[in-house]
Amino acid sequence: MKCRPLALAAKDLRLVFADGAGIIQPVLLGLILVFVFSLSTPVGEEVPAQAAAAIFWLATSFAVILVFNTLYSLEGANQARIGLLLSPMPVQYIWMGKALSGLVLLLTAQIFFLPAIIVFLGQDLMVSWPGALGTILLIDWGLVAVGSLLGAMSQGHSARDSLLSVVVFPLLVPLLLAGISMGSFFLGEGTGGEPGSWLGLVLAFNALFTGAALVLFPFIYGEY
Amino acid sequence: MSLEMTYLIASNVVIWLGIGGYVFYLAAVQKKLERKLEQLEELSHEQ
Amino acid sequence: MKNMQVNANKNSNLSLAGALVLAGGAALALSQYFIWIHAPVEVTMGLVQKIFYLHLPAAWWGMICFFIVFCASIGFLLRRSPAMDQLAASAAEIGLLYSTMALATGSLWARVSWNTWWTWDPRLSTALIMWFIYAGYLVLRQSIDNRRKMRMVAAVLGIMAFLNVPLVFLSARMWRSIHPAVFASEGGGLEPEMLTTVIVCVVSLGLLTAGLLMFRFRQKNIQERVLDLYRH
Repeated sequence: MKCRPLALAAKDLRLVFADGAGIIQPVLLGLILVFVFSLSTPVGEEVPAQAAAAIFWLATSFAVILVFNTLYSLEGANQARIGLLLSPMPVQYIWMGKALSGLVLLLTAQIFFLPAIIVFLGQDLMVSWPGALGTILLIDWGLVAVGSLLGAMSQGHSARDSLLSVVVFPLLVPLLLAGISMGSFFLGEGTGGEPGSWLGLVLAFNALFTGAALVLFPFIYGEY
Repeated sequence: MSLEMTYLIASNVVIWLGIGGYVFYLAAVQKKLERKLEQLEELSHEQ
Repeated sequence: MKNMQVNANKNSNLSLAGALVLAGGAALALSQYFIWIHAPVEVTMGLVQKIFYLHLPAAWWGMICFFIVFCASIGFLLRRSPAMDQLAASAAEIGLLYSTMALATGSLWARVSWNTWWTWDPRLSTALIMWFIYAGYLVLRQSIDNRRKMRMVAAVLGIMAFLNVPLVFLSARMWRSIHPAVFASEGGGLEPEMLTTVIVCVVSLGLLTAGLLMFRFRQKNIQERVLDLYRH
C-alpha cells in the first residue's frame, strides 16, 4: 500500500515543475511586491524589521492564492477531477495531497522571498535561523490547510484568483499577525512581544483549521 | 452647536440611514418580485 | 386544501415579520427619548457617550446575526435544505449592515473622545475583520453561478468565518499588547437610568432585527421559487 496523499502530491509537483509556470508566477509576483515595497522608504533609510516581515508574509499570501489555483486547476482538463473523486480513498486524501504539494511550492517560493527581503529591504540581522525556519514552516502549515480547503472552490472556474483572495485573506489575519510579529522578532526587533504566546496562537489556528478542513472538505470538493 | 452634539447626531443619522436604506432596498426587491409574478400569471393565462 | 393552509401559514409569517419591523421601528423611535432625555450625561466622557446606546446594540445584534449564519450553515450541511441557506444569506446581510453601523458610530465616537478615527483596539479590529470576511461571503454568493455549489461553498465559509472569531480577537489583543496601550477601555459602573436606556435600545433593535431577518428570509425564499418558475 503506497501512501496515497504522498503519491497525489508527487503527481501534482511533477506536473507543476514540468510546466514551470505554476511556480514561476508566484515567485515573480512576490519578488515584484518586495521590490515595490522597497520604494516605500527614502533612499538610504532602513526598512523596519516589522515592515519587512509584513512584506514577506504579504508576498507569501499572494503565493498561496496562486499556488492553490494552479493545483486545483490541474484536474480541470478532460474532467480528470471525476477520476480523482472515483479513486478508492477518502476524499480528504485529496485535501492532504494538495496541501502537501502546496507546502512544497510555497517553501520553494519562500526560498526566493527570503533573500529578496535581505537584499532589497536591507535586513541583515537574523537572530536564529532554526527558529525562523521553524516558524515559517509552522505558519505555512496553517496557510496551506486553509488554502487547500478554500482553493478547492476554484475548481471548474478560471479567473477566480481575485475572488479567492478576497475570501481567504481576512480568514488568515490571525496567522499573518503572528507571522509578522514573530518575523520581526527573528529579524532582530524583539520588542517585548513574546514569540511563545504567538506560537500557541499559531498552533491553535493550525489545529482548528486542519480539523475543520478534514470535516468540511468533502462538501466543497464534489461533482456538481 | 457643540462638536459633541454634531457627532452624536451624525451617529444617529448613520443608524437611521442604514436601517431605512435597508428597508427601502427590501421594498424595491419586493416590488420587482411582484412584477415578475404578474408576468408569470399573464403567461399562464395565455396558455 | 393543505396547500392553502401552508400558504396561509406563510402569509401570517410574513405579516408577523411586518409587525415585528413596525414594532421595532416604533421602539427605536421611542428609544430616542430614552437616549436624549432619560439618560443622564456621562460625567467624564460627556454628551458623546450617548453614541454608546446605539453603538452597542448594533454590534451585539450584528454578532448574533453572524452566529445565526454559523448555525444555519451547519444546518444546511446536515440537511441540505435550501431554506437553511437562505436563512444564512439573510443573516449575513443584516449582520454586515449592523457591523457597518457599529463601525461607523464607533469611528465617530473615537474621533471625539480619542481624537482619532481609528485605533488598534481588539474589539474594533475584530469587528472590522469580521466585516471583511462576511463581505467576502456575500460577494462569493453572488459570483458562483452553479447554485448547488454556491450553497455548499457558502456554508463551509459561514462555518469557518465564525470559528475564526476567537482567534481573530486573541491575535488582535496580543498585537496591541506589543505596543503601549494609549487608551483606557471604557466601562465602569452604569447608572440605573443608563442601564434602562441600554436595555430599551437593545430590545428595540432586537425586535427590528428579528422582523427584518424573517422578512428577508421569506423574501429570498419566494425570490428563488419565482426564478425557478422562469427557468422551467
